[in-house]
Amino acid sequence: MNTVWVVAQKELLDLFRDRRTLLLGLLLGPLLFPVFILGVGGLAAQKARTQLEKTLELPVVHGERAPNLLAFLRSQNIEPKPPPPDPERAIREQDHDVILVIPEDYAEQWRASRPARVELWHDASRQDSQIPVERVAKAVESYARQVGALRLLLRGLDPAVAQPVFAVPRDLSTPEARRGMILAFLPYLLILSAFLGGAYLVIDVTAGERERQSLEPLLATPASREAIMSGKIAAACAFGMLSLLLILGSFKASFWIARSLDAGPFGAVDVSWLAIAKLLLILFPMVLIGTTLLTLISASVKSVKEAQSYMSVLMLLPIIPTIVLLIHPVKNQLWMFAVPFLAQNQAIMNVLRGEPLSLAEWGVCLGSGLALGALFWLLAARLYHREQLAISA
Amino acid sequence: MGAVIEARGLVKTFKSRKGVVRAVDGVSFRAEQGQITGLLGPNGAGKTTTLRMLYTLMRPEAGSILVDGLDPAREPEKVRARLGVLPDARGIYKRLTARENIAYFGRLHGLDEGTIAKRIAILVEKLGMEDFIDRLGEGYSQGQRTKTAIARALIHDPPNVILDEPTNGLDVMTTRSLRDFLRSLRAEGRCVILSTHIMQEVALLCDHIVIIAKGQVVAEGSAEELRAQAGCENLEDAFVRLIGSAEGLSA
Repeated sequence: MNTVWVVAQKELLDLFRDRRTLLLGLLLGPLLFPVFILGVGGLAAQKARTQLEKTLELPVVHGERAPNLLAFLRSQNIEPKPPPPDPERAIREQDHDVILVIPEDYAEQWRASRPARVELWHDASRQDSQIPVERVAKAVESYARQVGALRLLLRGLDPAVAQPVFAVPRDLSTPEARRGMILAFLPYLLILSAFLGGAYLVIDVTAGERERQSLEPLLATPASREAIMSGKIAAACAFGMLSLLLILGSFKASFWIARSLDAGPFGAVDVSWLAIAKLLLILFPMVLIGTTLLTLISASVKSVKEAQSYMSVLMLLPIIPTIVLLIHPVKNQLWMFAVPFLAQNQAIMNVLRGEPLSLAEWGVCLGSGLALGALFWLLAARLYHREQLAISA
Repeated sequence: MGAVIEARGLVKTFKSRKGVVRAVDGVSFRAEQGQITGLLGPNGAGKTTTLRMLYTLMRPEAGSILVDGLDPAREPEKVRARLGVLPDARGIYKRLTARENIAYFGRLHGLDEGTIAKRIAILVEKLGMEDFIDRLGEGYSQGQRTKTAIARALIHDPPNVILDEPTNGLDVMTTRSLRDFLRSLRAEGRCVILSTHIMQEVALLCDHIVIIAKGQVVAEGSAEELRAQAGCENLEDAFVRLIGSAEGLSA
């Protein structure tokens, strides 16, 4: 136990002497993440607002065929204008978000009281055009409803008969949950920081130490290899937790600033100290898993370079559950808290949404994470006993 | 029990692309306390591998080792506690001072801070480290690095000392003072084993010489015994004759 402490102390001293690396590792995240989240979030919100509110310029092909529709659109803050010479190309080259096309038979169908078709041309793969397309589609729909109601009245019928059922959406989400939606990015960033935040330190203290030729003398001391390895892991975990604390602190500060400036959608978010403590507790197994897994990798490879080449793959791991949930959303179930990454993702979302986690969920989440960390520790300890470990080149 | 290191029939093989290489193929020798035992042999003869088995970094495939009567296979920690090791790899921590480098190893040996301070004071004086002991390791000369590595290997005052090519890469002055230091270790009654491919070094330092070539001991004894064995007046000629060629050796 004494050896673990001696090794951890030395590794941290060594790291803290390396000012530049330390500052980059500890401060870059806390400085960049809030800018990123607040900036991108604010920008998106602002864009949505302007797209919803400002007059939408809508190129209309053969607008002369539907003068009433165009007049109605004008009343909805949509300004029809002459079409570009090649409408299809204009959409493809992203000159226009949406173009309305009135077919030749529009007037004929209209007069015969048959559904008259209009076409909305747009590029569905462009996220940016979603709001304008929706606005035009809604306007056309409400025009159709209005005219339909008038037609029924003309025939002496109550327009309500044509609408046997109608749905009124009622949003029951709590304000806290809506905050959570805004922060969908946060779990990934936090999990990634926890998982790989101390990566270069971990790789450095095993693969780097061997490359610098100081591992062999270290292993020639009576200290057991498990204890030396555990000391290195402990140092990296301490560093990882410190960097997480700084990141969460910076989020707290930036939400506070956002609230006092009343800017963007983050004004309402409050990250309490209790929530931060919970997040740190949730993320600790992640730090342990990342550190032990990287120690395992560093002990098995021949060089620092080889260890680093695993990083790009490891960076993708935390995003997998996020993507799976995006494609196939499911309700929180207990088994999810046993799957690493997914468990942390769900637990962090719960905390951010202000929803309590049950005791069982806490237990499974922490227990499975720590168990996986312990498994990696055991495997890494086995690799630490290999003869090749100490010998470089 | 006095300081003695005994190796019997050590075998170690490595797998390479060309097949299995017998790096050490039945090496036996005995190193006594109060003596410097030199392993002499060309590069690649198996000296480093032999030493690595002595300080428990590698396990021999056959044969046995006794360090002060202890078996490294059974009690590796106790054996390492009785050994001071300067391995082939002698990197030091560049962001720590020499004193911190040495103290770190002292703590790993389980020494208390008072003992560590006392031992460092002794070693600094004996090795002549006064001018850089509290400077960061960044920018040390080869000699300063080697002295730091030797000091940290001896922080726990071990009865046995194993040094892998201790004068490798050092200038003449540093080499001379290091040789004096090694003689002082002998005078203190320690059992010293060093490996080298420099013939002059064994001639000047060693009481007992073990000549290793291609993983096997080809001859052993004092300088006089080896001269007699080879039938040569000159020690250098004797080595060359015993090894079979001068390849990989330095005068």
